Order: sequence, then C-alpha cells, then structure tokens
Amino acid sequence: MSDYTKYTKQEMQAYAIAKNIKENQIVIVGTGLPLIGASLAKRAVCPSCHPIVESGLMDCDPVEVPRSVGDNRFMAHCAVQWPNIRFVGFEANEWLHDEDRLVAFIGGAQIDPYGNVNSTCIFGKGDYLQPTTRFTGSGGANGIATYCNTIIMMQHQKRRFIDKVDYITSCGWMDGPGGRERAGLPGNRGPQMVVTDLGIMKFDDETKRMYLAYYYPFSTPEMVQENTGFEIDVSRAQLMEGPSPEIIKLIREEIDPGQAFIKVPKD
Amino acid sequence: MNKVYSLHDAVEKFVEDGDVLAIGGFTTNRKPYATVSEILRQGKKDFIVYAGPGGGEVDMLIGEGRVAAYINCYTANSGYTNVSRRFRAAIEQGKLTYEDYSQDVLMLMLHAASLGLPFLPVRLMQGSGLMKYWGISEEKRKSMPKLEDLKCAEIENPMVPGQKVVAVPVPKFDTAIIHVQQASPDGTCIICGDEFHDIDIAVAARKTIVTCEEIVSNEFIRRDPTKTRIFGECVQAVVKAPYGAWPSQCYDYYDDDDAGLKEYDKASKYQDAEDAKAQLAKAAAKAEKAAAAKPEDAKLADAAARAKKAAEDAAAGVKIPETFKDYVEKWVYSCEDQSALLDKIGGSRLMRLKNEPHLGYSTTH
Repeated sequence: MSDYTKYTKQEMQAYAIAKNIKENQIVIVGTGLPLIGASLAKRAVCPSCHPIVESGLMDCDPVEVPRSVGDNRFMAHCAVQWPNIRFVGFEANEWLHDEDRLVAFIGGAQIDPYGNVNSTCIFGKGDYLQPTTRFTGSGGANGIATYCNTIIMMQHQKRRFIDKVDYITSCGWMDGPGGRERAGLPGNRGPQMVVTDLGIMKFDDETKRMYLAYYYPFSTPEMVQENTGFEIDVSRAQLMEGPSPEIIKLIREEIDPGQAFIKVPKD
Repeated sequence: MNKVYSLHDAVEKFVEDGDVLAIGGFTTNRKPYATVSEILRQGKKDFIVYAGPGGGEVDMLIGEGRVAAYINCYTANSGYTNVSRRFRAAIEQGKLTYEDYSQDVLMLMLHAASLGLPFLPVRLMQGSGLMKYWGISEEKRKSMPKLEDLKCAEIENPMVPGQKVVAVPVPKFDTAIIHVQQASPDGTCIICGDEFHDIDIAVAARKTIVTCEEIVSNEFIRRDPTKTRIFGECVQAVVKAPYGAWPSQCYDYYDDDDAGLKEYDKASKYQDAEDAKAQLAKAAAKAEKAAAAKPEDAKLADAAARAKKAAEDAAAGVKIPETFKDYVEKWVYSCEDQSALLDKIGGSRLMRLKNEPHLGYSTTH
C-alpha cells in the first residue's frame, strides 16, 4: 500500500486524464475517474483549469470526493451554484462565441470507430422498447457531445468497441468526414480521444476513424487490437510513461483517500 | 392566507390519480421523498412523471406500479446504484411506458413550461437515437390526452433558412412536489444551495406541494428577500416535514444516508420474494455452469457452492434477502407519517447525517 512505484490500471487512467487537461481549460467532469483525473490536474498537473459539473455547479474544488454531480460536496465548494439550464446555455454559448475553452469527459457502454457512444441500452435479444440491458439514459452527455470537444472514458473490451452501436446517445463523428454537419451538429466539435485501461485512442484528421495514439507501460498495441471489436490502426502508437510515485501518493493520500473510485492494490 | 397542511391532507387534496407529476431535486439531492411516500401510502396512481434527473423516488413509484408514463433523462442514485433497479427491470421486462430525452432537453422543457412557451426549439439530440427512437409512438400519445402528440420534430428555423432545429413539446404539469429548507404559511420558499429545476416546476404546475424542514412566519421570511426563491402564490400547500428529503441530501441541513441508500440498492435488486427466489436460482445455475467449465478453478467452485446455498435457502424460505417490497413496507407503508419514519430511523442516525457547517456535508453519514 505504501509502495507508490506500483500503480493500477485505474491510476494510470486517472493520470492520463490529468495529462490531457490544458491550462485554463474549463473541464466538464462527472464523478468517478474523470473527477479524480481533474482533481489531480487541478492540484498537480494543471492548476489553472476550472472543473464544472452538468448540474450547474461551476469551478468546483471539493474537499471530499463527491458521489454525484448534484452532491453537497460539489455544491459547498464551488464558485457559482447555477441551475442546470444555465450550464446548458453556457455550453451552447461557448460554441456560439467560437471559444475553445471547454473539454468534457463522458462515458459509455458501447463505442464505434467514429466515437459514437451508447449509454442508453443494449438491445441484445430485444429492441429499444424492451432491451436486454437498460442503462440510465443520456444525462448531460448528449448536449455535451453536441457542443463540446469530448474525451471518452471506456473499459477496453471487445464487446464495447464495436462496428455499430445499438443506440447513439452521444454523437461522435457520425459516419466520418462531414457526418456531424449532415446531422445538423457543430462540425468543429467532436470526440478528441478515448481513454481506456489499455491506452489512448485519437481520431484521424482525414478519416475521423479511431487509431491508437498511446499505450501504457503495462499494455501493448497488440493487446489493444485484441480487445477492439473493429480494425484499429496501431502503427502510430507511442508509449506513454507511467505516473511518478509523487503522483500516486497524491491520488491515494489526498484526492481519494476513502477509495471511493480508485481502489488501492493489496500487496 | 394559511396554506399549512398535514402531509396526509396535502396529498389527499392536491394529488389526483392520472396527474402529470413534476418532481424536484437532483438524483440524491433534495428529492421530496416524504411526499412520494405519502402518495404511495394513499394508493394514488397512473401518473405521468417528470423528475429531471431521477433517483430512488421515481424508482419507488415505478416499482409500486404507479407510473402510467415516465419521461426520463437519467435515473440512478448516483454513487450507490448505477442504474435505478426497478426502473431498469421494468424496461427490460417491457412493463414501463417511457420516453428518453437528453437531460439538457428535458430541463429546458421544464424551464419552457415555467415561461409558458408554446413549444421549444433546440439544437440538441440531432443525429442521435434520442430523435430516432420513440418510447411512446404518435398513435399511443394520441390516446394519452395529457401527453403531447409528438416526442419531437425536426423543423427549419424560420429565422435562419436552411438551418435544421428540433422542436420539442412543453409539458403541462398538474402537480409539482418539491422539498425546500424553509417556507412560510403563505407559501413563500427559501431554497438553500442549487435550486435545480424546482422553481421552474413550481411556477409551471397548476398545484404545488412544498414540504420543508422548517416553517417560519410570513414576516420572518421577508426579512431577507435575497434568499426567497418561490413566490407564495405559486404554492398550494406547505407541509412541515423535517428530513423530508431523507435518504437524499438537503443542503445546509443534512447529507445523504449512506446506510439507507445502500439498503435500497441491495433490496431493490429483487421486486419481491418470488423474484428473489427466481433470480437466486438463475444465478446458482449460472455459477454452476461456470464452475463446471473450469473444474480446476477452486474459486469458481466455491462461488457456485455459495450461490447454490443461497438459492436453496431462498427456495425453502429459510433465508430470503430483503426485497423492494420489504423495503417499502418497512420505510413507507408501516410509517403512518413523517414522525413515525423519523422514530424508525432513530435519533442518533439522524444526528450523524447533519451537515458539518464548515464543510457543507457530514463526515459521519
């Protein structure tokens, strides 16, 4: 437990999130890993960022890890308590003003090569009206994916990375170049990367298809292809170095000491 | 005018079968559980429910079969239950009439209702399943007079030729139920912390029932009008219901009840005893199959043995896990009112939930 040189896949993911937050960015986080990553960014990697949540709480700096986006832990430690509709308006106005400050983390159960995400239901043997597996529904993700650049958080499994998702909850690049414009969506916004427990995927500028940009010290490009249910270009992949012991210590002792979202390995 | 009612009388008078119900609060924060519980006790039903981001309160209404249609954007006790379980089971079993919107669109619809708009144009949901798939068909909607005929329609923006936008309906609410920190007998409300969509639905609904932690005088509540958020004339009933958002949070007053939400998470896995027996038998069969496939794996064999024992104990009636029906019997039906509920939760447990003023939450919840 006190060995900060060993880290888990989840800790690597949180670090990868933090590394991809830039100076002065306004970061839409949920709970779970993105929140840990953003907290890490705020404290160690990129202190000028502003975490906000879709309930309308702006510039959050929670002391204890919140469990939901409406949690008192966010509410008591933020700059402004807006209702959700102001958040929605802010998000849209950032796009209308052609600002490039927002980045958002969203998650999902299924993703396709163009970054279209399903968090509504898996049809399985049924259909939308009676699916095999039902999830919460969109939450703020659809609006976020409409107006903001997104970083998608996924578990890297073959059944989740598939050619065609059952239901598009949050639009990615649709069917490729020009797809967003054809659907009536802002074309200059879209998914920037997918952060998984095996690596970081990005989207090709020309084709808008997902490719492997980085793998981790404990993963390989082959592992990524094996766990991806579609053909993925791994020729451009580079190794991303793991977090320093100082970073791991910060996560375990200050950011999530209660292990609400990141479990510390038992030696 | 004095609008103070008992919880029983407020629900009896202002909630009717078939109402379009708008519920305040956000997943596990300031959810009006006291009023939802009283609605359950009085057997009222057939509601069309809007709850913004819903949690256990909607899940209980669904599990008890009181919902004619649920207009969903997100339903979970976040951090405790990833997807509300009775909501999920009802959809997977094809038993719930529901519609999906994105949270943005649903919250804008509630706001549009407060503004009295005829319909709402948005640039959201385009290209997604939210437009493609309708939970309630146009034909079925036409048979439901309180629901608009269309889920949504793509139209051209008359101000910007060629621009596609999405028109969504603006709901009409019969009854809004919200929980606030303080209210006065004339209906004026103080909401501490985020208002969520509570003001919108209080303005939009024909009838609004407010439960509150404290009732303060009409004079007292006017001493600092920067804190008042709802005009009393939008409110029909004011009910004193301390801990009326339990087991969810109430800003400046209390945190969520960790034990309560965990109990609901576990219990709501099973609708009732029969469901528990069936699910445990199914789980045992699955574990046995997994163990048989890898006979050398001692962990799988152990898990299969445990699953088998649990299924046998349940089938024989020796040990049946707590179910959703048990939970609502224990925490809703067997409590005649909010006082009885508080006695059952117990003084020390309620004290542990109290927010620590310097933090804004409880470290012992």
